[in-house]
Amino acid sequence: MAYREKIAWLSLIAMAVAYGPYFRFVGRGPGSWEPLPHLHPLGLFATVSIVRMLILGAGYLYLRLGSPREDRPPRDEWDRAIEHRSVSAAYYVLMAGMIVVGCFMPFSSTGWTIVNAAIFWIVAAEVVHYSVVVASYRVQASS
Amino acid sequence: MKGSISNRIRMLRFMNGEMSQAELGQRIGLTRQTIAAIEAGKYSPSLEAAFRIAQVFKVPLGEVFQWDAKATPLKAS
Repeated sequence: MAYREKIAWLSLIAMAVAYGPYFRFVGRGPGSWEPLPHLHPLGLFATVSIVRMLILGAGYLYLRLGSPREDRPPRDEWDRAIEHRSVSAAYYVLMAGMIVVGCFMPFSSTGWTIVNAAIFWIVAAEVVHYSVVVASYRVQASS
Repeated sequence: MKGSISNRIRMLRFMNGEMSQAELGQRIGLTRQTIAAIEAGKYSPSLEAAFRIAQVFKVPLGEVFQWDAKATPLKAS
């Protein structure tokens, strides 16, 4: 497995572990989340983000120490092509999400519901980004 | 749109002392995975990389890559 594919898997796992429980929790409904400013949700989001960063940090360290230098070559044109494709796909997801959050949700929702929806679409764009990276390297590996 | 690029890199590697994908990649500044992707037709290299590959094998570009106008293209980057 290519080093950059491992990094992409790590990022996906970190997001699943951190944001999966977060969105399951906030998805229960607005409840005590409303109205703004209500700082408990912000604290929860900060905790989740720190957990994600810790997982990423530990994972990077593990992968870096576990991979010899020749397994971590500098990015070449194919890596850049994959990156370009994945970022393009994520961009469209992010744009669609921001249109929903910015143009439609203000008519039906308020406060933390909108904030969490925005966070959700950012995370969704990241998931698409890393999924496309993984899929691109997998296509080559299965050939 | 029909048409795809095929290549003879596998055969040229064989004819050059079974050169490994890693060695070819190292000589032209690409990774082994990228050479594998090019060889399998999953990725069309830049013109510069294509010329470098031909230069390594000391053959004209047309002997490394061919254009097949009737073929259905593989999913490529």
